Amino acid sequence: MPRGSGSSRRPRVEAGARRETARSHSAEASAGQEPVVMQEAVVIEPSGRPGTAASAEREASLSTPRFRIFIVDTGWDSPGHKVLQENFRLIRELQREDPIYVLGREKSIEYLRHHEERIGHDPIIAVHDLAAMGDTGTTDFHGFRLRLGLLRTHQQALLALQNFARFLRMHRQSVDLEGEIRRGLRREGFAGAIEIILGHEAREIGG
Amino acid sequence: MPERWSDYLTIFMSALAVGYMFYEIDRRQRKLREIFDVLDAEDAAVTARLEDMVASGELQPYTRATLA
Repeated sequence: MPRGSGSSRRPRVEAGARRETARSHSAEASAGQEPVVMQEAVVIEPSGRPGTAASAEREASLSTPRFRIFIVDTGWDSPGHKVLQENFRLIRELQREDPIYVLGREKSIEYLRHHEERIGHDPIIAVHDLAAMGDTGTTDFHGFRLRLGLLRTHQQALLALQNFARFLRMHRQSVDLEGEIRRGLRREGFAGAIEIILGHEAREIGG
Repeated sequence: MPERWSDYLTIFMSALAVGYMFYEIDRRQRKLREIFDVLDAEDAAVTARLEDMVASGELQPYTRATLA
C-alpha cells in the first residue's frame, strides 16, 4: 500500500498577492561618507485580480526547483552508461528548473565503495523530492532512483530514461509523488498489470 | 465433470498458461520496482550524505551540456 502523504507536499509558494521588488537608494550618501547602500525591499500589494495572482503563482511554482537530481556513474561500458552519455544534454534541457549534480567518476566510485550492494547498478539517477523532504525529512518517502545499470539493452535503457524524463516533467506539481511513482513508473496494482500486458513500454523495460 | 482425458489436459494447460501469465506480470513488476527504486527511511543516510555534499559546496550544479 502506498504510504499516505497526509499533507500537501506542494513546494511552498506564498499565496495570493502580487509582489513587486523595489530598490531604494540611500539619499544621504555623499563623498567621504559611507558608500551608497543598495537596499532591496519586497513590497506586497493586495491584488484586485485573483486570476493574475493565480497564474503568477503558478509560474513561480513551475520554475521553483522541486527536485535535486544526482547522477552516479562509475563508467561501466554498459548500455545504460552509453544512453546517459548520448542523451544527457536533452535530459538537462528538459529538467532546466531542477539542479543536476554529477558526482563524476572518482566520487561515484567512492560512493559505491560505501554502498557495495549497488555496484553494477549504475548509472544511478537519484531524485530527491524537496517538497517531501521539507515535510517529513528523510524518515519517509523522499524521492526515487533510476538504476540504468540494471537494463541490459540500449532500447530498454533509452525507454526507461524517456519514461523518467516524462515522469519528472508531468509530476512536478504532484502532491502524491509516491503514489504516482507506484502507478506510473512501477506499474503496481491491477491497472499496472493490465498496462504491462497491453502496453509496450512497461513490457520492454521490465522484460 | 470432464469426460475425456483431453478435457483434463485442456484444463491443465489453461491453468499453466494463466499461472505463467501471473508469474510474468509479477516478474516484470518486480523488475520495474528494482529499476525505479523509491527512497525511504532505509536510504536516509545516503540521502543525507548527498545533501551534505551539496550544502558544503563539494557538489555544484552541473552546468556543462555533456557528461565528461
